[in-house]
Amino acid sequence: MREMTKKFWLSKETFLKIAEASGLNTKDPHMEELYTYLEKVLPSLKSFEEIDLTHLEPSMPLLSIKEHPDES
Amino acid sequence: MNPEEICYLSAGELSWLIQKREISPVEIVKAHLNRIESLEPILNSFITLLADQAMEAARQAEKEIQAGRYRGPLHGIPLGLKDLFYTKGIRTTSGSKIFDTFIPNVDGTVVTKLKEAGTLLLGKLNMHPFAYGPTGENQEYGHMHNPWNPELITGGSSGGSGSAAASGQSTLTMGSDTGGSVRIPAALCGLVGLKPTYGRVSRYGLTPLAWSQDHVGPMARSVEDCALAMNAIAGYDPNDPTSMDAPVPDYSRTLTGEIRGLRIGVPKEYFEIPIDSRVKEQFWKAMGRLGELGAVISEVSWPMFRDSMAIASTIQMSEATAYHSDLIKAHGPRIYPPVRLRLEAGFFISAIDYIQAQRARALFYHQSLRLFEKVDLLAGPTVPVTAFKIGLDKVKVGQANVGAISLLTQYTRPFNLNGFPAITLPCGFSDDGLPIGLQLAGRPFEEEMVLRLAHAYEASTDWHLRRPRIQ
Repeated sequence: MREMTKKFWLSKETFLKIAEASGLNTKDPHMEELYTYLEKVLPSLKSFEEIDLTHLEPSMPLLSIKEHPDES
Repeated sequence: MNPEEICYLSAGELSWLIQKREISPVEIVKAHLNRIESLEPILNSFITLLADQAMEAARQAEKEIQAGRYRGPLHGIPLGLKDLFYTKGIRTTSGSKIFDTFIPNVDGTVVTKLKEAGTLLLGKLNMHPFAYGPTGENQEYGHMHNPWNPELITGGSSGGSGSAAASGQSTLTMGSDTGGSVRIPAALCGLVGLKPTYGRVSRYGLTPLAWSQDHVGPMARSVEDCALAMNAIAGYDPNDPTSMDAPVPDYSRTLTGEIRGLRIGVPKEYFEIPIDSRVKEQFWKAMGRLGELGAVISEVSWPMFRDSMAIASTIQMSEATAYHSDLIKAHGPRIYPPVRLRLEAGFFISAIDYIQAQRARALFYHQSLRLFEKVDLLAGPTVPVTAFKIGLDKVKVGQANVGAISLLTQYTRPFNLNGFPAITLPCGFSDDGLPIGLQLAGRPFEEEMVLRLAHAYEASTDWHLRRPRIQ
């Protein structure tokens, strides 16, 4: 992974708001551990931000053109 | 024949003996059940053992074969399934006690196909909870243990599938692979494991981890057995919306041994990241052997290889959290803590991040395809280290301490992102007797070529014949 030197962009306050909106129990002491984990993991996911994505559409799995049985 | 010998025969060898009536499915299952009984206290490969059902199925198979209704080379062959394949009437835990009593009312498509082929299900195999981890650790059902040294990880998430096949507890096992979960335990346990092309094998009736990167694949002690399993499980399935309606070859017939002139590319980027020097050495020896067999080895460049980790992880985390979101909210504290953290982290990846990752994925896919204009296959190590102690978060590689998850998946995950077929097979052992895996990858739907190259290499070495001394 490339080294990320930027300051972590997710403030504790925003973290708690997203956690609450996501249905997580923000009173749980485990939230501290989750925030620490995010500080470590989320920056490592940003490494592909430098790729030029101009004119690219998202890749999606090829879906069968046949009707799905659950929909029939 | 002594029972241990029976347990280490391949499916191909067993089927030959069954057809000649020199061994019966009942004898085979008995030998395996005895071996499971003696090794389970050490290995903990199984979550649910199905001894009575397996014996009953063996008696039924014996009757059918005696009556001349032989179904083919998997008839009477023992099988273990990772415990996230839905099995009708048999509990399916996905490696979590939250689902300890969940009993599906359908079989997954792969389960149905393997039943039709006549395999005998010995049990449901231990796994990293929800398949969300590459080490094979599970606090609730007990950690999986590597047959080559039970203090070490099996690799995961299909860890029970790895330990069961490597120890002779089962002839064939099935795993799922979202970031390497078939290939990592296969490599660390000294097995062959194939992740087919995305869409080649149905995912219907499999607990998802990340829909767009989940694959189903066989694990066995030989390339031939993986080919036999592929003959049974590959093919179009209308129940899986991503299943491809493409012709399925006879994979066994592709094992010709002829690889002269095949062009094999080794991405130079593979060696710009942490790798144990012993693994590197064995890998290059394997390349030397393939060169002697007539393959043409060259260095290639795969610039997005390193980016693929972040792209794949962003997609995996988003999809895993989307699938398990209700579970996280309702049962968060009951989920294995490292898995809980990963699942909760997905809530903090935005829709934009996910879409950007899918856009980058399109670029990665096309770059991967272009790479295959110059070569027929890619080769590299499967895992950059040998198995390490259970419970480690970080692993020392040279002077660096590297996170266990990113280390174990660094060579396997790119092929979950592009969906290309990839196989691992043994290419040596470390000084301390631990297996090292060689990964070979091909173009989409060219499993035949991947299997052919793997088989030719396997036939020229004896790594796959070594057996762990389990104590």
